Amino acid sequence: MLMLDRGRELVERRSILRLLVVRDLKVRYSSSALGYLWTIIDPLMMSAVYWLVFGFVFKAKDRGLDPYIVFLVIGVLAWQWFNAGVVDTTRALQQEAKLVRSTNLPREIWVLKIVGAKGVEFVLSLPVVGLFMVIQDRPPTWNALWCVPLAIVMQTVLISGIGLALASMAVLVTDLTRVVRILLRVMFYLTPVLYSVHILEKAFDVDGITKIVALNPMAGIIDLYRRAAFPDTQTPWHVVGIGSVVTVVIFFLGASIFRRLEPAVLKEL
Amino acid sequence: MTVQSSTQASGGAQDVRPVIEARDLGIEFIRNRKRRLSLREMLFTGRSSSPQGTFWALKGVSFDVRPGEAVGLIGANGCGKSTLLRLIAGVMLPDTGSVEVRQGVAPLIELTGGFLGDLTARDNIYLTAGLHGLSREQVEERFDEIVDFAEVRDRLDTPFRHYSSGMQVRLGFAVVTTLDEPIILVDEVLAVGDRAFRQKCYKRMEELIGHGRTLLFVSHSENDLKRFCNRGIYLRHGEVVADGDLEASFKAYVKDSDKGSQK
Repeated sequence: MLMLDRGRELVERRSILRLLVVRDLKVRYSSSALGYLWTIIDPLMMSAVYWLVFGFVFKAKDRGLDPYIVFLVIGVLAWQWFNAGVVDTTRALQQEAKLVRSTNLPREIWVLKIVGAKGVEFVLSLPVVGLFMVIQDRPPTWNALWCVPLAIVMQTVLISGIGLALASMAVLVTDLTRVVRILLRVMFYLTPVLYSVHILEKAFDVDGITKIVALNPMAGIIDLYRRAAFPDTQTPWHVVGIGSVVTVVIFFLGASIFRRLEPAVLKEL
Repeated sequence: MTVQSSTQASGGAQDVRPVIEARDLGIEFIRNRKRRLSLREMLFTGRSSSPQGTFWALKGVSFDVRPGEAVGLIGANGCGKSTLLRLIAGVMLPDTGSVEVRQGVAPLIELTGGFLGDLTARDNIYLTAGLHGLSREQVEERFDEIVDFAEVRDRLDTPFRHYSSGMQVRLGFAVVTTLDEPIILVDEVLAVGDRAFRQKCYKRMEELIGHGRTLLFVSHSENDLKRFCNRGIYLRHGEVVADGDLEASFKAYVKDSDKGSQK
């Protein structure tokens, strides 16, 4: 019940949420001359590095689907949104402490606006994927029309859930931010960003390895994005299915943690 | 004073519903302000290494405020005045009791909190006014009024961080006082700014009260309190000691603090 009230309140204040998202983007783009380029330079450079290392140095055969660079860019961009979203939402309340203390808005808004701003940056970086698909002569399939929007919704819900939990806990536990950074780096390699899910079946002789990997919702989300360009993916659908269930669970868990900690957090800010 | 008569006309009738209803409000703080745990403490001992101990910043506070009343909160430093204001503004949540606020609130608390150093004053005005619920058109309507009041017209496109601290507060005051909210919470903000601006603030405040807004006012200045408020609530150690006519409440406070200083 309480969660529904909160949801309704947030919907009523959606214009303020939009305002905050625009503010974040404005700050980001007005404080640097390169502006938009910064959004894509980092993931592009990282993609180039992985492409060189795994495509040419190791000459890995079982890396993913061809063309590998398209496969990589999709994964790295999606991970970039996840990574930046989680890191920034962890600091969300502390960073805006003054505003949180002086405006009576549903406090969830400070987390959601970061998810939103990072999401807009992600969508703005999608043309880059299109460019690579054109260069590599890999036209998008009709799947893209529903795969990409669904994946974006799932990722928004996932980052919101994780962000709500971390943002409130980080105010009470001082060094959480550092732990989050380390965990994210580990997660990057455990998530099928550089490789494909079906390769794990070959690499590990463990029954149900794909189901274990699917517990990490980013596995399913990245796979959904990739279906837009690679209809020939061999990843089973249950990766997406399990991922979406876990995503919803994480969201409700995060929202209830946020509510539980809210009074203590407000005293501490 | 036409202000007074209109206030009493609306507040005098007993059946007018209070706009603020505080019932048994209480909030508990950790004494040494170190609630935060480091991860090491959490893993190995499960509790903070600093000594435990809490205190109630507010305890059993109950009162009603009717529309149009101007209430001064009086008390020594740390008696819970600002905390009470925050609870009413909804930016802190009580541990016991409840506070019901039936109309919109314009909080003059941390005036410059909404401003971002990297953006220009123009952008900042739109953003902060928007955060407090004004639509873009409403801000456009009031834009000139805000700018003139804050006297920043020649620096509208300067990044906010290049403003002097006085100018920053001026802009904050100008934005928040143009809000239409019927309840105004003021926390010591009149103490800043130069003399000329302070006069302007006083005038603006008197206008607002004249329009029948409800005011909750925290200040240590006897003059300010007497100027704006007709009712005083005296808090001591988080409890209401006196609530009534401003003069009477203030006298109780003065008596207490004189007693304290003689010890």
